[in-house]
Amino acid sequence: MKYDIKEIKKGIKIHYINTDKFKTNLVAIFLTTDLDKETVTKNALIAPVLTRGTTKMPTQEEISKELEGMYGALFDCGIEKKGNNQILKFYIESVNDRFLPDLQENLLTKSVETLLEIVFSPYIENGAFKKEYVEQEKNNLKQVIEGRKDNKAKYALDRCMEEMYKGDNYEIYRLGYAEDIEKIDEKNLYEQYQKLINNCKIDIFISGILDEDKNEIIEKNQILNNMKEREGKLIKANFDIKSRENENIVFENMDVVQGKLVLGLDVNIKDEKQQNDVLLYNSILGGSANSKLFQNVREKASLAYTASSSYLRIKNSIFINCGIEIENYDKALKIIKEQISDMKEGKFTDEEVENVKKGLISAIKAIDDEQDTQIMYLFGQEFSKEKVLTEEYEKRVRNVSKQDIIDVANLVKINTIYFLTNKDGGGENANHQ
Amino acid sequence: MQIINNLKVNEKLYIDRLENGLTVMIIPKKDVQKKYLILGINYGSNDSSFIAQGETEITEVPKGVAHFLEHKMFEQENGKNSLDVLTALGVNANAYTTNDHTAYLYECTDNFYEALDEFMDYIQHPYFTDENVEKEKGIIGQEIGMYDDYPEWKVYLNALEAMYHNNPVKLDITGTVETISQINKDILYKCYNTFYTPSNMAMVVCGDFEPELLIEEIKKRTIMKENKGDIKRIYPDEPENVVKNKVVQKMEVSRPLYTIGIKCNVLGLDDLPEKAIRKHIAIQILMNIIFGESSPLYRRLYDSGNISYTPNMDYEFTKRYAHILLTGQANNPEVLYDEFKKMINQLKQEGIKEEDFVRIRKMIYGDYIKEYNDVTDIARMFLSDYFKGVNTFDYLEQIGTVDLQYIMDVLNQVFDENRMILSIIKQ
Repeated sequence: MKYDIKEIKKGIKIHYINTDKFKTNLVAIFLTTDLDKETVTKNALIAPVLTRGTTKMPTQEEISKELEGMYGALFDCGIEKKGNNQILKFYIESVNDRFLPDLQENLLTKSVETLLEIVFSPYIENGAFKKEYVEQEKNNLKQVIEGRKDNKAKYALDRCMEEMYKGDNYEIYRLGYAEDIEKIDEKNLYEQYQKLINNCKIDIFISGILDEDKNEIIEKNQILNNMKEREGKLIKANFDIKSRENENIVFENMDVVQGKLVLGLDVNIKDEKQQNDVLLYNSILGGSANSKLFQNVREKASLAYTASSSYLRIKNSIFINCGIEIENYDKALKIIKEQISDMKEGKFTDEEVENVKKGLISAIKAIDDEQDTQIMYLFGQEFSKEKVLTEEYEKRVRNVSKQDIIDVANLVKINTIYFLTNKDGGGENANHQ
Repeated sequence: MQIINNLKVNEKLYIDRLENGLTVMIIPKKDVQKKYLILGINYGSNDSSFIAQGETEITEVPKGVAHFLEHKMFEQENGKNSLDVLTALGVNANAYTTNDHTAYLYECTDNFYEALDEFMDYIQHPYFTDENVEKEKGIIGQEIGMYDDYPEWKVYLNALEAMYHNNPVKLDITGTVETISQINKDILYKCYNTFYTPSNMAMVVCGDFEPELLIEEIKKRTIMKENKGDIKRIYPDEPENVVKNKVVQKMEVSRPLYTIGIKCNVLGLDDLPEKAIRKHIAIQILMNIIFGESSPLYRRLYDSGNISYTPNMDYEFTKRYAHILLTGQANNPEVLYDEFKKMINQLKQEGIKEEDFVRIRKMIYGDYIKEYNDVTDIARMFLSDYFKGVNTFDYLEQIGTVDLQYIMDVLNQVFDENRMILSIIKQ
């Protein structure tokens, strides 16, 4: 694998990943902008509106037929929040020409051109997006936002994050707000689109077998040549100390069979260096089948089918997730808290540390085996002060000691306890909101 | 060892049958870090009534035993849980149960052979006690509860219940809290001894390996003995018609979920595997012509605001059941269903355009190639195809032989309005 970054204009980077590991080419465009209550909904709406038509292909049907004819090139788009940034992601995956009956297809070039066309050359009528497209996508977006409650486990996690980050822009839902959709029309949405593409940070990834002439695809592209320079800034992790005196306890009632318990923990580390220590801490606490949470909540107490934790690196938070019987709220919470305090006291062995390292290193090595994972990893490096490739990342994880983990364990504090429960409530000792 | 070389996707399959009857398939992948091993047992939730090797009496076991057994296999006599041992090696291990098979798997980058020691050890040494069986009932009870909250799971199960009178495919793989309460260690041993025999299993490995060396390492760790005699599996007869045309359940969902099911005929025992593959390819092409992103049906439903994405389209088939499922969300599933049936009738009468057929066939070809990126996908695909009696490579070989005439034949035979059902979940 060979990885080169070329900043073709200020704020616009092309990332070339030359690899023959895959049967496919993957092209991705990421637009990064501030996560902001004012623009979040419009930005979330822009992505699907762009998929409706381009200057050359004014209808979705034409785009679909074009992609199908490219041996089923797969187009996808999505909205993500990464720290306090909102990211619009667009992808095209296509088969590498080597595996096609007709070698003259040149699918990589076509994929790059088609994706640039979709993102930067939308179909325009009277100086705005097409009204019909905007109205339909408004309805779709509204349905998706209202559909958040369908996946209970995911919803509970999102809600815990929102409660934990009240007052921080990170509380903003990545797709925005249903009540803001009404105010959007084809004109003000197009204005926001112009602002976005002229100011956002742009990262374009091209992964696959890249021959010499692949630079030309980019250099000769008219759309990119016409783009303006921009600052291309993004919001990185901050290491301010979060201080909440008391645990924030939130209960929400819904029609669920199983209760979803989510704990949001602050980890008050000082800099990026300690992030790998937290990564190991999280693995021991709830990152695998050997973890304290899985062993004690699920295996020993039989209280849950799922019991795990995940580390949100960019916000230095950990989230603990359990699906439990509603009446077991108090029991489960008690066991979870015991695990957190055992970690502070260093009640884990060197062997456990070595074992979770093996699991993490295996996962790090596998990053380069998956084309999209590799792209997401490399894009993630844009958000840290220092760029770390997978080999170096592996080395740093290896060097974490038991004492390092105990040190960060003592910086962990429960911020929010969120429980999604049925209509009868449950958990007698909790302060209902 | 037999070697099958596929030049279209440039991959090789090494296939061997060990002396004890175990089939091993290896797909080497150069320069890939990840290694993936999966062992499948031809035993799933549908096999709850059988006559074991050398017996004459029918054994009936409660629903959910195959899945329960899968959970309990990790328990070892020395008090350890093999899942923990594997995790400690930095290996990601898991298992799952389907209607027709059970699979144990692990993936790793390092310590592959240390993991294989542990893996073969627990597969070949079951250890069930009254105590550990009782404890598992709590965990599986929670798993069942978790699925109760998934409308996606409910709309699927209800669709199967509407299609099948007797075939156990319609039952939940996990069983119910009631059926699993009847499970004890004797039942588990009985099912283990009957089904976990080498000739009833297949192993697939994918990663950077020398196949000849790998096969020797597998042999070294294999102590299972051949079990002579056949297992007779008893399945109830299933009529061709469906049970009911529509089933609606109320749940808290923001937008209704729908599944359209089409009950299909299973292939005869004498039919060649190529026939199953060609039929599968034809159905995939047809589903996309009828309801894919470029179809007029999708366009109409999208523009009217009824749907916002194409349904998930699946053709599931084994030797004992076969059906098509189209699943998605729609504001008005009834209207969608009517339009869907109209579209099929229109295609039956007016025929399919050559250009649409050629374009969609190209797309499906590309989809097949893309399956060969990831060791996990490759190994799982070869295993599940093996249990269906087909070789995965043959999809790439057969797709060129599927022509428009054959597509029209399949459209007329399979997409039969009398064998369609609609399942809905709404508020």
